[in-house]
Amino acid sequence: MEVNPLSIILVKSDSKGDRLLFRYPFQTQENNEPSSTKRKNPYTLPIVEDLLQSLSQSSSNMNKGNLAGFTDEVLSSLFAVKAELSNRKFELKVNDVRFVGHPTLLPLRKKKEQPQQDDSGIMLINIVFALQALASHSVVKCYHDLSKRMGIALKHEEKRCGYISDQTQTMTSAHDDGYTSPGSAFQIILEKCTLAMNIKKMYDDLCSTGLVSIRINKWIPLSFCLPQKVHQWHLRGKIVEPEDIDKCLKALRPYHSLLLLYPAQHMNDFTSLDGSPSLIRLLSNYSPLKNLQTLAADAELTLAHVFELTAHLVYWAKATIIFPICSTNKYVISPTAPIHLNSPLVEKFNETFSGLNLARVISDFSLPTSLGQRCNPLCHPSQQSQLVQTIIWMLQHHLLLQLHTYIQYLPTENGLHKDYKKKQLKSPSPRNSVILSNQPSASEHSRAESESGASTISETPEFTLKNFNSEHLSFISTDDDKQDYQEELLLDFSDEERSSVFKIPATNNPEDLQLFAKLCRKEYFQGNHHIEEIMYLENLRRSQLLQLLDKFRDVLITYETEDPAIAMFSCSST
Amino acid sequence: MNSEEYIKHRFEGSGKEGPIRCIFFCEFHHTAGPIISCQVPENYISKELFDSISVYIITKAELQRSTITVTLTDYKILGFPVRIDDNKYARNAYHFNLCFVCDSDARTVHYEPVVMKLSDYLIAMEVESCFLSRGKILDKLPPILREVLEELNTKGECALTEGPTATHLKVCQIRSDPTPVYDHQVPVFIKELPPQQWDLTTQQVTPYIDGFNHVARIALLSDVENNLVKACVQNLVYYCVVALVPLFQYGNIYCTTPKLKLLAQDAELQTKCLEYVARSQRQPPTLRDVFRFFASMTRGTTIRDLCIRHNPVNLRINERKLVQFGVLEGIIRRIQKYPVLLNAEADSIDLQKSLTGGASLDEICCSTGVSSLHLEDQLEKDHNVVLLCK
Repeated sequence: MEVNPLSIILVKSDSKGDRLLFRYPFQTQENNEPSSTKRKNPYTLPIVEDLLQSLSQSSSNMNKGNLAGFTDEVLSSLFAVKAELSNRKFELKVNDVRFVGHPTLLPLRKKKEQPQQDDSGIMLINIVFALQALASHSVVKCYHDLSKRMGIALKHEEKRCGYISDQTQTMTSAHDDGYTSPGSAFQIILEKCTLAMNIKKMYDDLCSTGLVSIRINKWIPLSFCLPQKVHQWHLRGKIVEPEDIDKCLKALRPYHSLLLLYPAQHMNDFTSLDGSPSLIRLLSNYSPLKNLQTLAADAELTLAHVFELTAHLVYWAKATIIFPICSTNKYVISPTAPIHLNSPLVEKFNETFSGLNLARVISDFSLPTSLGQRCNPLCHPSQQSQLVQTIIWMLQHHLLLQLHTYIQYLPTENGLHKDYKKKQLKSPSPRNSVILSNQPSASEHSRAESESGASTISETPEFTLKNFNSEHLSFISTDDDKQDYQEELLLDFSDEERSSVFKIPATNNPEDLQLFAKLCRKEYFQGNHHIEEIMYLENLRRSQLLQLLDKFRDVLITYETEDPAIAMFSCSST
Repeated sequence: MNSEEYIKHRFEGSGKEGPIRCIFFCEFHHTAGPIISCQVPENYISKELFDSISVYIITKAELQRSTITVTLTDYKILGFPVRIDDNKYARNAYHFNLCFVCDSDARTVHYEPVVMKLSDYLIAMEVESCFLSRGKILDKLPPILREVLEELNTKGECALTEGPTATHLKVCQIRSDPTPVYDHQVPVFIKELPPQQWDLTTQQVTPYIDGFNHVARIALLSDVENNLVKACVQNLVYYCVVALVPLFQYGNIYCTTPKLKLLAQDAELQTKCLEYVARSQRQPPTLRDVFRFFASMTRGTTIRDLCIRHNPVNLRINERKLVQFGVLEGIIRRIQKYPVLLNAEADSIDLQKSLTGGASLDEICCSTGVSSLHLEDQLEKDHNVVLLCK
């Protein structure tokens, strides 16, 4: 795994010079196989040294996932940076190993016993992580963050009780006692020093789960999450970058819902660590059937805060985001679902739902299937609840993908009108502008702005929109007015568009046309909004919307696909 | 630019390749210590900055001949410290390092071989004619460095013919290894084959790459051994000349992806698409028909069904090209069927082994030589087998 650290190294530098105090792991299994196995052929001719062809033997500083080829002195001279480079990110790549750290300058605490002697004042501490050079930039950034936080904690502990002076003292004396075998001094240090134990714990945690939870000097808790690693347990083989999570969270809407990956009871250790009472409140009201808005109302929290808590839970791989489970949701098998006979999931599923076979159950979702279709009115309520439970289980394991219906408005044979297209590129999509606010006025407003910007189409766009925002009672009138209101309604559409829209018989019905024009104007038909979102934002019923789509099917084309915002966890193609 | 791309750009600033900002040459002076003897452009790296990082540039003996990259707040400095041992030097050895400077958020891995080669060139010049140590550096080296800097930034390659030896430098892009090629995949050209002397296999294979022949068939037609064809196709994939798509059959099922909306928005993609899928160039199909065809691809609907429903001949659409375009652009995605045998009892032993859910119907058909229609019929009759579409 390229996100695992190869080694963690602690280096200090003060008035007495620089020194490598500790590194973990230090037990390098010294197997000198390469030199012994590479037997020299006695018949080869010695190659005459040719400077031009002196291809350096592919230099690698890794050996079976461990750092190799550096002596402690070299490492300490590299990491004891000059004062100019301290208190900022330190990144150094040597051959195929990348070192990252945050050298921290800390004022040493004067000891009370010997105030006159200890005037050295400042020490530089650098906790360096050795990574594979392949590690991505975001991984490096996370490790830098960890090193920085460690530095801050150590600085504080030094100020509070001289922790670093003590620890470095013990470590230095262990080195000075002169042990012959290379690892033994480190072994002694590991037994004696709590800082060394912390480093060992940190290394082990990073390599196993990616969740670090240590207590520095048994006092300052330090918890850290390496997202690229921690999401491995539920998404094997897929590296989740922090920016993927950011992207997902930016697309979070009040109608989405939280799906915990653990049973809520198992979250206790996580919440005690966090200590936020609102998180506990949120979890006690949690249900995968509720959307975030309902959850916020039930837990008596603001929606923005619920979003933050959701973000936190997703980042720490405790939860994922879904569309709330309801009977109209259509599910299919996720393209990356690892289902085969030898998959551990099959057994896990069998343990949870005895008597059921995962392959059999999931095969029902080979075709898009909704919960409503699967439930037949004759079946027992317990069967129905089991069905919901299996769907939740499969969603937790990212085996299912939800399909949404998107709508594309194509008024003419050649697609959208040219001006329309231009305008669309300029104006911000309402989806972006209506993230947190669910008042439709916001999107209308943005639309109005874009309109006045591109005023080539209509002469009085403001006027139309004003009419529009007010009640439309005036339009429902006698037949001779019909032509007028039609014209008026679609005033900002191009001639070509208008003529093709008016071929549709449903335009004779003012209510239909009015709804169509309204939704069209808000750019809901650009493939950025699925039906459920439009229903939510416009407070429409599904049947209303489906009827409209059917009536205007000549210009509105529907297609089914996943919501790209929340599909990142179950679909690799995003 | 859609939001997805924007985020990618913002966050992957590290991944982008930036130009070389500066090249400097530094050496270990026997009295003054590490100094920059020459840099192009002048004074790009200040003396104070250099002093703070000189330990990574003129290094200890253990780090000789290692590529060392230091990332600072503003710069990234890539060097390759070397040493020439000889009694004629003041300290019996001559240390020097030729460094490239880039922006701190740029990728520099692809410059590493160039730095190493350039250093070796300088070593050769020094050994031959004391080019560096005789104190004439300031006359001769800056023009060379300037040439390297300019040519690498503009052309990506540079030929140096100064002195008795010549050397050629080229920046090679580092790409990830291509995935293995399978029998049932179909190679499609995504750009013209660059006109150059390709190897014999490639010359023999490429005429049969027409976007419809799968790898096993190409091997048969071109009379080239199957594995050689795979290696050849893999090589072409690596150079982004060819892309692999799943085999086209009328019984195939495809589904739309969120990228379909781009077809309605992106005018460039539209023209490209209409040109690609047209039956004849004189009468291209209309966008709405093409879009509707794509939009109706859902799980459970085969291309055969869609052809009956839409009649692509009347719409002037070439459905095979349409599917190919959709797959290449990521507008649609093939839905593969994975048969899983639930309880192994009867049936032929050979077939059973492949019914674990790990192999798709395409793979099984290709390896057993059974037609997919026949196999699917057979599997659907069997109640112990479930077909998972994903």
